Amino acid sequence: MRTSNQNDSDPDQDVVFEVRDLEVTFGTNRGESRVVRNVDFDIYRNETLGMVGESGSGKSMTSSALMNAVVSPGETSGEVTYYPPGGGEPISVLDLDEEELRKFRWGEVAMVFQGAMSSFNPVKKVRGHFKETLEDHNRDVEAGLERAHQILGDLYLDPDRVLDSYPYELSGGMKQRALVALALILEPEVLVMDEPTAALDLLMQRSIVSLLKDLKEEYDLTIIFITHDLPLLTKLADRLVVMYAFDIVEVGSTEELLYDAAHPYTRSLLNATPDLNAPIEEMQSISGSKPDPVTNIPGCSYRPRCPMADESCAEAEPPMADRGNGHRTACFYHDDVADEIPIPAMEAAEEGGEGE
Amino acid sequence: MTPKYLLKRLGQAILTFLVTMTVSFLLYQAMPGGPTEAMRSVILSQSGGSVDIDRLNRMIQLYTNVNPDQPMHVQYFNYASDVILRQDLGTSFFKNEKVTTLIMQRIPWSMFISVYALALGYSLSIFLGVMTAYREKSRFDSTVSSLIIGLNSIPYYIVGVVLIYFLAIQNNYFPTGGRIGSGIAAGYNPEFMLSLVKHAALPAISMGALATSGALAMRGNAIRVLGEDYIRVAQLRGLRETRIATQYLGHNSILPMYTQFMIGIAGVFSSAVIVEEVFAYPGMGLLMFEAVKTQDYPLLMGTLIVFTAISLTAIFIADLTYTLIDPRISVGEE
Repeated sequence: MRTSNQNDSDPDQDVVFEVRDLEVTFGTNRGESRVVRNVDFDIYRNETLGMVGESGSGKSMTSSALMNAVVSPGETSGEVTYYPPGGGEPISVLDLDEEELRKFRWGEVAMVFQGAMSSFNPVKKVRGHFKETLEDHNRDVEAGLERAHQILGDLYLDPDRVLDSYPYELSGGMKQRALVALALILEPEVLVMDEPTAALDLLMQRSIVSLLKDLKEEYDLTIIFITHDLPLLTKLADRLVVMYAFDIVEVGSTEELLYDAAHPYTRSLLNATPDLNAPIEEMQSISGSKPDPVTNIPGCSYRPRCPMADESCAEAEPPMADRGNGHRTACFYHDDVADEIPIPAMEAAEEGGEGE
Repeated sequence: MTPKYLLKRLGQAILTFLVTMTVSFLLYQAMPGGPTEAMRSVILSQSGGSVDIDRLNRMIQLYTNVNPDQPMHVQYFNYASDVILRQDLGTSFFKNEKVTTLIMQRIPWSMFISVYALALGYSLSIFLGVMTAYREKSRFDSTVSSLIIGLNSIPYYIVGVVLIYFLAIQNNYFPTGGRIGSGIAAGYNPEFMLSLVKHAALPAISMGALATSGALAMRGNAIRVLGEDYIRVAQLRGLRETRIATQYLGHNSILPMYTQFMIGIAGVFSSAVIVEEVFAYPGMGLLMFEAVKTQDYPLLMGTLIVFTAISLTAIFIADLTYTLIDPRISVGEE
């Protein structure tokens, strides 16, 4: 079990979320399903944090826990502490009562998630969605709607047309952007985006991503971006969090993780990423299958699929090892990983770069 | 909504009305001992056979709007033109009054208990449907669901009889029948109002029990809607629970049931025939029942036509208003 003192916040950074010992469990017929296990991490103010990992690795559950919004009958435990801007009293999100939580949601943390297509009430105009959000958070509706006009304009939408439309009258990309605007209406500190581009075509994905960069600057946002699309994240994220088997296996700046990944899973993931510049033979899938949330793998959870695993990996869970610059990885052999699992594409790119 | 659509729907409603009227007319005429036969025998027996045939036919025509000497299609044409052009449904054999007058006297009473029953049944359906969906698989859900299944398996008139036995005979909370207490003056005074409500309560409850069949369908819809993304987003958006329950869950779950609810209005009116008999509540239903018993054909035809007209109007209104509750339905664009 990792000790939390190894994960104490970096004193130089302004932390907005501090997550400690986060656990999410579901009772199932086959036993307790632990879909988030003992997760510790920090989110810094005004950064873009990318979360990657395969389907079912706990990314969405972890981000839902930030708003204490794990769907029932899921149980969330641990500590999620939110630090409001301007040095206000820290808020323990999991201890909020229903009314406080209602105010906290969307006011401080807003979320745009996978199903943007169906995130709007089909029988209500888009304007109604903005209005009710403002009303239920006791904000000035007039001023809020004016703001909505401005945000929609920033997102290259025609504000009046969109506001006067029913959701079914908008295209997927328009709905997605309208939802982003709706997320920003209460001026939240943190915006969680859970695969916001999954249902969109490539062009729309890229345009939304570039819009996000502008929005982040304009509205002083902290963005948490969850996706499977690693190349997309490298263009967008300041830091990356890699999740495997319901826990974080590696954290670090995007640069660090791309060029000096020190966990076998991260490196294999990079190898499995399709890249137009790399020949298809160099693309390697990760053998084995993903772990079951009901079974508990003793020791390192990646052990069954890891080419470097030995007896010591089975005996104890590897602690988060600090590699400096906020780069931490959960592997006993983090110093040897780079030699054991090369990333041909990356090396080729580096060599090419040196040659020029 | 285009005028073309409106006309098309109106045309369909009128056509349905005409077909219903024609079929009922033909069936009544074709029955052994049809209306004119019955009328003839009634008059003959009363006068002891001393009436001349011309006078007899004139009397029959006066009462039924039908001259027995004319061929069938002429009879039908005359009857239909009386109904449509002059709103004249003929004269009752036994009550010796215009059928329209009789019906107009009774309609407000039937309306009263039907609206009462519908409001009760539908609001209960919607409320219970949403509540059981919220607590799916809980003890509350299984209890309420089984109760509703049980209630719907028992015919509404049995519910009525049971209600009379327990609440009117055993306990005397409600009167056993009638529409107003004896010796109470009509007017806007509390005594009269209370008596009105008390008399209408049991018939309305037993008819309302019929309308709660919507609760199970509502439950199914609400469970489906609860799984929709927009409900989760609404919760994440920190909207008030009451708003989510009504504007999100309630509204979207009612959509598939709206037409069914409107058609249900016809069902409640038709159940009035038996419920009003059970509770001796003098409304349209009881009028129809009496007409059947006494073979009062003009009255029977008249009540049937009025029931048809009410049902068609309800469905017509449902069609026209659907777009108000679901903006995705665009009427008239083909």
